[in-house]
Amino acid sequence: MKIDIDILSFPDEDLQYAINCMDICDLIAFSLRSKHTKNLVKSSNRKIESSSVYIYENHIRFGITTRISKNSYAHTAMDLFDSYIKLDDRSGVKYWRKEEFTRNNWIAHLLDIFNHQSMIATLAIENVSLSYLDTVKQVIPKCNSLEIRHTCSDDVAKMAFFKLSLIVVQSVKVRKNIFRKDNDISKFLTPNLKYVSFDDPEYPFKLISDDLLTLNSDNLSIEPANITEKELNKFLKLWMKRNHTFYRPKVIELFLKNGTEIDEEEVFKGVKYEAKYDEQRLKRRDGKELDVYIAYNYIKFQFK
Amino acid sequence: MSSTEQGTSSAAPAEPTTAPESAAAPEVPESFYYVHGKDKVVHKVSAGALQHSALIHGMISNLGYTEEQAKANPFPFENIDGDILQMVVDWCNQHKGKPTPPEDTNLPKQKEKLFDLVLAVNYLEIKELLTYCCKQVAMMVKGKSPEEIREIWMIPTDAEDEAAEKEAKKRAGKEAAGETAAAAGDAK
Repeated sequence: MKIDIDILSFPDEDLQYAINCMDICDLIAFSLRSKHTKNLVKSSNRKIESSSVYIYENHIRFGITTRISKNSYAHTAMDLFDSYIKLDDRSGVKYWRKEEFTRNNWIAHLLDIFNHQSMIATLAIENVSLSYLDTVKQVIPKCNSLEIRHTCSDDVAKMAFFKLSLIVVQSVKVRKNIFRKDNDISKFLTPNLKYVSFDDPEYPFKLISDDLLTLNSDNLSIEPANITEKELNKFLKLWMKRNHTFYRPKVIELFLKNGTEIDEEEVFKGVKYEAKYDEQRLKRRDGKELDVYIAYNYIKFQFK
Repeated sequence: MSSTEQGTSSAAPAEPTTAPESAAAPEVPESFYYVHGKDKVVHKVSAGALQHSALIHGMISNLGYTEEQAKANPFPFENIDGDILQMVVDWCNQHKGKPTPPEDTNLPKQKEKLFDLVLAVNYLEIKELLTYCCKQVAMMVKGKSPEEIREIWMIPTDAEDEAAEKEAKKRAGKEAAGETAAAAGDAK
């Protein structure tokens, strides 16, 4: 007896079980065959631990992490180009072609088969064209963390910050000094974000007390910050004076240039504070408190 | 026995649950059943081995056949190829009364046989073997490209799917029209 069968004629439960046994790359390959196979993969609800998207000039690197067992994870990365995917696994380099697919189609397909966009843990922007940033925003409606890499041009880094920080759920990391050629840096500090960090070992971020007062994110970290003790002192005094004024930040961390030592006396000159362990606590008349911790080139403000 | 009597007897002092070794009940001889596939070749299988199949287990559980009756009434599985049924019987015998291992390397590697085995095992409701088979099916496409997967699993393209759907709709339309015409004829 010859039963002429294809896998799609399997009973539903068996077919779904076979799909559940497939590893992530095989599952993606299967999903690319037809609308039917794509829907089958979608309905299998395969769980992804996290995923990352790195946007380059001519391709997108897509990484997926899956849990194999309780403490074991597998990471798969693939490069998405217009019309093909390049996969590099233990068995060598493979190319999967789909002529009609652009990079955006690949990403949309991958996000769709795994059912939820919030799985993108990290979206990293390398040096791309300015115009491509709008496309990125369209293709990736949400991500947990945005990283603007040092390879970006100044313009791209700035624009990526303004355009893409809107799709971020958790944190924005800018690895380039986007303040450098701008007189007004407050616009980089006013977006309402949970966590924002700026670091660029080559070019310190120049700051004054007013910049810190315009801050509108929960957490800020800057490394290296170029700010004087006088400005830090001014910031403390202005904060003390602003009774009953809402100030959103919870934590500000500044790392000054290596080798610099912050002069605590200068910072607290004329400021009334209470020494508490290794911190200094400032209290406003409206009951708000600020703990300041200083260690060598590091200063942390914690607002309560 | 009335319910009252049952109540009385259950209230009596409990009998010792373990009998002396010398008085242990003699082992009940294993009962066997017979099955055949499309090729009519009859396979003798113990009831213990057949427990793997929920379908057969359900069929034999209340039969109480004697050996002769069982031999005279083999279970026919006309929808299963003889060699596939042989594989199933072998597997059930090998795993009789044993915990099933996490992997089974004795499954067929040929595509057609594996597909036939999945269908047979699904029909006979042998859960553990079905799990192995499905894993084996998934392994067939390990590391393969979308195009290779299409060939191995005979997946139709979107165009073929659409054509099949159109054809099915056309057929359904014709059938519906036929039924309407027949109903109109009956009414006259």
